[in-house]
Amino acid sequence: MNTDKILEALSNALGDGILQTRTLRPEKVCVQVKVGAHRDAVKVLLNQDGNAGISAITGVDLGKTIELMYHIRTCNTIITISVNLTKENAKIESIADLIPGANFHEREVSDLFGVTFEGHPNPGRLILPEDWPENVFPLRKDFVALNFQSKMENSEALKDNGRHSIDERLVNIVFGPQHPALIEPEKFTLKVDGEVVKEVKPRIGYVHRGIEKAAENRTYLQDIYLVERICGICNACHAACFCQTVEAIMGVDVPPRARYLRTIILELNRIHSHMLLLGHVGFEIGYETLFHYMWRDRERVLDITEELTGNRIVASFITIGGVRRDLKEDVISRINAELETLKGRMNFYRQLFEGDSTLKMRTKNVGILSRQDALRLCVVGPVARGSGVDMDVRRDEPYAAYNEVPFKVITYDEGDSWARLMVRLDEIVESINIIQYALEHLPSGPYRVRVPRIVPAGEAIGRVEAPRGELFYYVKSNGTASPERVKVRTPTFANILAFVKIAEGGNIADVPASFVSLDPCFSCTDR
Amino acid sequence: MARLSPILKEVLVHLFKKPATRKYPEEKPHVPEGFRGRQVFDISLCISCGLCARDCPAEAIEMVEVDGKLRPLFHLDRCIFCYQCAESCPRNAIKSSGIFELAAKNKSDLVVKPKTNHTSAGGSQ
Amino acid sequence: MSLDLAFLLRVLIFPGLTFILFLTMFCDWVERKIEARMQNRMGPTYTGPAGVLQPFADFIKLLTKEDIVPFNVRDFVFRLAPILSFSIFAFAFVFLPIDGVSVVSNSNFEGDLVLVLTLVSIANFFLFLSGWSSINPYSATGAARVLTQFLGYDIPLFILALAPAFLAKSLSISKIAASQFIPFAFVVPWVFVLFIITLQAELEKDPFDIPHAETEIVGGYETEYTGRRLAFLKLSKDVQIVLGAAIAVELFLGGPHGPVFYGPSAFWCTLWFVLKLLVVIVLTEYLTCVFARLRIDQALVINWKLILPLSLLSLVAAVGVGLWLYPLR
Repeated sequence: MNTDKILEALSNALGDGILQTRTLRPEKVCVQVKVGAHRDAVKVLLNQDGNAGISAITGVDLGKTIELMYHIRTCNTIITISVNLTKENAKIESIADLIPGANFHEREVSDLFGVTFEGHPNPGRLILPEDWPENVFPLRKDFVALNFQSKMENSEALKDNGRHSIDERLVNIVFGPQHPALIEPEKFTLKVDGEVVKEVKPRIGYVHRGIEKAAENRTYLQDIYLVERICGICNACHAACFCQTVEAIMGVDVPPRARYLRTIILELNRIHSHMLLLGHVGFEIGYETLFHYMWRDRERVLDITEELTGNRIVASFITIGGVRRDLKEDVISRINAELETLKGRMNFYRQLFEGDSTLKMRTKNVGILSRQDALRLCVVGPVARGSGVDMDVRRDEPYAAYNEVPFKVITYDEGDSWARLMVRLDEIVESINIIQYALEHLPSGPYRVRVPRIVPAGEAIGRVEAPRGELFYYVKSNGTASPERVKVRTPTFANILAFVKIAEGGNIADVPASFVSLDPCFSCTDR
Repeated sequence: MARLSPILKEVLVHLFKKPATRKYPEEKPHVPEGFRGRQVFDISLCISCGLCARDCPAEAIEMVEVDGKLRPLFHLDRCIFCYQCAESCPRNAIKSSGIFELAAKNKSDLVVKPKTNHTSAGGSQ
Repeated sequence: MSLDLAFLLRVLIFPGLTFILFLTMFCDWVERKIEARMQNRMGPTYTGPAGVLQPFADFIKLLTKEDIVPFNVRDFVFRLAPILSFSIFAFAFVFLPIDGVSVVSNSNFEGDLVLVLTLVSIANFFLFLSGWSSINPYSATGAARVLTQFLGYDIPLFILALAPAFLAKSLSISKIAASQFIPFAFVVPWVFVLFIITLQAELEKDPFDIPHAETEIVGGYETEYTGRRLAFLKLSKDVQIVLGAAIAVELFLGGPHGPVFYGPSAFWCTLWFVLKLLVVIVLTEYLTCVFARLRIDQALVINWKLILPLSLLSLVAAVGVGLWLYPLR
């Protein structure tokens, strides 16, 4: 299969650089290499597939060493290259020149684990605040949560990190952290020359809550509810991915009815999220009528979710081993009726997006991301699909019931804001079709299997197509009731670099419009 | 523009329609069956196993002694209404209700004590 | 005119300052209600019957808030700009006939159309000054945008306003209003349509909402204002909208003239004036609801490449119609 070819290519290139190979469930290969050989391994993997990119970089504290895992997405699967670094000498060469999209991943690992990446183009704090004490790394196992006396008058630390801009006569306009255009706080410093943006410096981490660390202190069952609250809008995807990953560790198969029900709630989540975004776009470009109409129609989806799960937004529907409650027959007809109405409304919005002149003036040819840049920066989701990159985890690596439900993957080639919005609009219609198919072909049987509370030792990777893109989970279990490590890589974290690329060279007035077309969710980014 | 935007007609039509806003609190919303509102605890079914308190993700259930036995006390200000407690309970002693109007003026109102049938004060009527 | 009680009553109460203030609040309520219904929501409902008192409530609330003057602003201009812009907008009402004659009976003269349009420009300029005097990048951007926008769109406004002046053979607003047997909106409809679009830009409503685009520049020129000054700034914006609509009514819809039934003619004239004003306001509100906001460079391109040539052409066409209707002797 593909994996064998890749392993062969790796062993040819690295020879005895490969130390050992192991499997991360379900059927993902992890190749452990020597410290200097990781760059060659990454080069081999990039050669295998033109669309290859990095999914995540995970750090795991193994006591005396830190294991650094580079999860590379290639040929519709994930190959992991892992390197072991000693804690005394936690240095490694950066791969940011090979894969520009790895920039932020490396910065995050260096922030949270204390690994130094040599040759990184712009090192510095990413997730933790500026006045966090030095040499204290939260995700290491020997971290003790002290009462930090931060918030001290550390004005030095709060300055612009001393990095000079290209040209001193540029004016600083700070977009955030509090700004009417942003729903969640992040800071983007725009250096402008007149009305043209020359440089963008993002700073994230304003809503970092330390969820990955918190997950290590709770049982698996409690962790489902914790990861669900990483993001309010795509909560079902987080729960689904986590449960999938843990089920992979345990080797448990979910019954067919549960898989279909999971598909239904995941697609409902997608519809809800895309409608929220399209309304938000209306708000950003001054089109309040669109905003109100879209959110009024979104209420139907929330009502359906309430019937299905008992709550409007946070579903709490998926659990390890299946779903938590069943779908009754009489509810199905109500859901179908609402979905038909929604489809009719989507027709109206489609005509609007294609026909309205002022809307097109604000979004066409604005914020263009070329296909090449999209691949280099390893963006995911509708941002990638709007630039012509054909990737969708539901088709590439089916989970839940997606191998049985027919659907189309929507791509547009223009790469501008309008294309990204149209991708989402069409995906809403596709999701409605998927739900209707799933409701029609809902298999009977149990909707849940009982699983033990203690999870056997092992590690697994799970991927889910969240509304914003590929959501990546890595869970390592050590045989107790709490996980050893939970790594979450959210889609917006992978897309932040795209914003820098889009905004540079454009107008200030285009910044909110192009920014919102990326569908940023900062609670996800910061975790 | 090749064809006129459909919103031109849509806006005019809406001028004469009833607003979509529901006039809460005069009109109450329809609460579907299975809605996760305030907990209803049936003390006659409880066997004092403590699984609900152990599994609660928000540490919102405290086992307190009532009449010589341990019973759960719900801290509604910490509760996230996930109903893991109802799932973990081996006797189905915890059920949900449709009560969602739980605003209170002080924290002591947000405690559901295990009395003979469900609730203490708390929540607007 | 003598400074007697009748004069004072006319200037201060009806149809003077108090009437204008009440009319502004009422038109603000109509705007908000219409916009809300078009967007399928309720609009002001609970303050007063059907929410009519909501603009009053907002104004009074702002008056009671703390008044902060930031440290580094250009103090004199900062404090003066809102009040001056409000007063100049309100002053321009003096020349408009509301109940059949203008507020101050003998104040109209030949050429007061030019004076009123100039007063509108000057008052807009004070809005610019309010943004310029607060030293804040958002205010500065908003102020620059408002200046660019209204200066650009003033030119077509003047040109289009000349069309009814030509048709009425006079530059006095009351004479223009009085000489419309058929309202000019039906005689030269293209001029009316263009005038409404230019008015949209002058009044800074969608799609020309650019100077206070809150998602881009937070508050525009209003960013640093709080309390009483913000109340007056908002009030002056509202008066500007009513003034713009009133000018459109006078020039194109026949002003306060209409069929008079029994009773005092002042009552009927005011009634017709208010009704026509509401028609224009609903029309501009409809345009606000159906468009998104443009970028400043797109708005300027539309002005110089589209609206200006069209307004020149339509003026020529209006002159042609005028000469055909009333041939030169």
